[in-house]
Amino acid sequence: MLTPLQRIKKMRAEAINRIIGKGYLSTKRVYVGMATCEIAAGSSEVMEVFESAIKNGLPDVYLSKKGCAGRCNLEPTVEVVEEGRIPVKYGKVNREKAKDIIERHLKKGEIIEEWVIK
Amino acid sequence: MIKQKTKKPDKFVITLCDGPTCMHKKSKDLETIIQKELDKYRIHNAVEIKLSGCLGMCDKGPIMIVNPGYTMYGSVHEKDIPEIVENHLLNGRPVSRLVIDEDHLYNRFFRIFGDIAFFGKQMRIALRNCGIIDPENIDDYIALRGYEALAKVVTDMSPQQVIDEVKKSGLRGRGGAGFATGLKWEFTSKAQGDAKYVICNADEGDPGAFMDRSAIEGDPHTVIEGMIIGGYAIGSSRGIIYIRAEYPLAIKRLEKAIALARDYGLLGKNILGSDFSFDIEIRLGAGAFVCGEETALIHSIEGCRGMPRPRPPYPSISGLFGKPTLINNVETWANIPVIILDGAKWFSSIGTEKSKGTKVFALAGKVKNTGLVEVPMGTTLREIIFDIGGGIPNNKKFKAVQTGGPSGGCLPENYLDTRIDYESLAAAGSIMGSGGMIVIDEDSCMVKMAKFFLEFTQNESCGKCTPCREGTKRMLEILNRISQGNGAEDDIDKLERLGSMIKKASLCGLGQSAPNPVLSTIKNFRQEYEEHIKEKKCRARECVNLVSYTIIEKCIGCGACKRACPVSAITGSLKQLHSINQDKCIKCGRCFEACKFSAVVKS
Repeated sequence: MLTPLQRIKKMRAEAINRIIGKGYLSTKRVYVGMATCEIAAGSSEVMEVFESAIKNGLPDVYLSKKGCAGRCNLEPTVEVVEEGRIPVKYGKVNREKAKDIIERHLKKGEIIEEWVIK
Repeated sequence: MIKQKTKKPDKFVITLCDGPTCMHKKSKDLETIIQKELDKYRIHNAVEIKLSGCLGMCDKGPIMIVNPGYTMYGSVHEKDIPEIVENHLLNGRPVSRLVIDEDHLYNRFFRIFGDIAFFGKQMRIALRNCGIIDPENIDDYIALRGYEALAKVVTDMSPQQVIDEVKKSGLRGRGGAGFATGLKWEFTSKAQGDAKYVICNADEGDPGAFMDRSAIEGDPHTVIEGMIIGGYAIGSSRGIIYIRAEYPLAIKRLEKAIALARDYGLLGKNILGSDFSFDIEIRLGAGAFVCGEETALIHSIEGCRGMPRPRPPYPSISGLFGKPTLINNVETWANIPVIILDGAKWFSSIGTEKSKGTKVFALAGKVKNTGLVEVPMGTTLREIIFDIGGGIPNNKKFKAVQTGGPSGGCLPENYLDTRIDYESLAAAGSIMGSGGMIVIDEDSCMVKMAKFFLEFTQNESCGKCTPCREGTKRMLEILNRISQGNGAEDDIDKLERLGSMIKKASLCGLGQSAPNPVLSTIKNFRQEYEEHIKEKKCRARECVNLVSYTIIEKCIGCGACKRACPVSAITGSLKQLHSINQDKCIKCGRCFEACKFSAVVKS
């Protein structure tokens, strides 16, 4: 009989496996801010752009929504986390910028400096 | 959590802790020494050095984090620097003997946020997962040690031990009043009753505040976990989250989180196979500010009109349906799992002597970086507004900061070095409140500001007690008079007298604090009130009746102002100097906005 603490540790291992199963270990992870304020600023559209790109065959990208990170004046925000690189946060992303992030950053590895939150 | 293979990065970022303890241990000197080492190998262009606020491991300071890879070095001595630079930065091999290998909950966000100035000065405990995890996926929360505190509590701790831990942590209620959380838990646990309730007060109504909404939307499980732990500590099996219906996304995420937690056996009967059972339901509030007051909130859950009642008895003795009730704010609950996992000793090492831990603020108004920030108690207003907030936009001057929402006060420039904690803010004439922080620049009129907040509280007064119902109305009438240029000589005295009377005689926190914005603006900006009354002048040019618009020589006669004027008060032919008929002018300011040549002047 497992103790509650042993149970949660087992659950944690299973949870991590499920997250990995969803593609968490992809070389690139993209997080789109999806709190009320971010959605009001247009993040649903941004999310759609990434979703459809992945659906249409963009490889090696793990996409997830996240809550508000607190940068209200720069919303919607998108964060790209890559292996061996400092995470990049883009501010004021719209549909067009999202497409550019896919083309330039996710496909070619170029960080689009002018949109990066510093 | 998940180890990744490391590649040689494009650029390193070294974050040095410049919290008081690390500074004392010479972390500033380290910067110079690192710089010298970098010069030696000519790699200073590939490395960026940043200073951050307190990273929270003061006993292991000075702390140094190397990114990418999030390698955290502790007790870094100057003699260690050459080794770190050579092994880690040049050859990609971290110096393992100096690496702090603890998976603390609170420092996780630094892996993602720590290198940006806005986040560098922050320390996130309540918001540790906000902006990191998918709030709708319980696996994300569990993967980051979610519900482990709950498991620890039901496996290894007695209810009294949990209460003692919360007491030792020094956590105080983040709802505004700042009552010691552990003590509240103890009172409720000792109160007699066949049933006890746990309530999360998620009724957030302060103008300009969005801390609770963001916390729930970003990480609903932490609130749920905190509440279950609270239920275990006081011997309750039923929890209620009272949240206003205006927060549909937060409600949706809470509902989803509760359902998932039930599926996983973390909520409901025999939690994680233990003897302890606890369940949570959501109650929606209609959005009345007074329902944030605990006794009014309880009435509202009972199905009655949300009106406060005098205390005692306190809810911990006689609360919901007359039963002992433990009621805490969202942020307070969010701190609980961290205190259990990382320990009261660690938690109480952050903050000031009487205010421990961190506080979340909703930074808004005339500040460059508006947003949600969480800082250790003891951080100064200046650090929040200028270092994190980036200062005042458009080269304007800072005028005041309103803390604590409509119940708080406006603090002028000479209070900028006030440290954020319950006592210091109260001594300065404001309050911590739930954490609204509105920055005001030189273009804002303090009379108008006070009027705005009083209008809000007057609208939201439940009307049960006369001082609040009638008193705030009278105060508002006087303020209206002053801002219209009809103020009388003794109006300021009247406002002060009425204000202090309302504070003393009102039934609940709403009335007791309603006059604060007026009283504090009179105290700190009395001259502006006098100018309005005696000189009929509004220096910020915001009070419509005290402003007039004229057109000066710069006018090229383009007609833009004329087209914008809704009452046809502007005359003048094309390419000729235009003029405004002051009798017709309604002072809407559209001509001022329409003119591209600064020819319309506001005076």
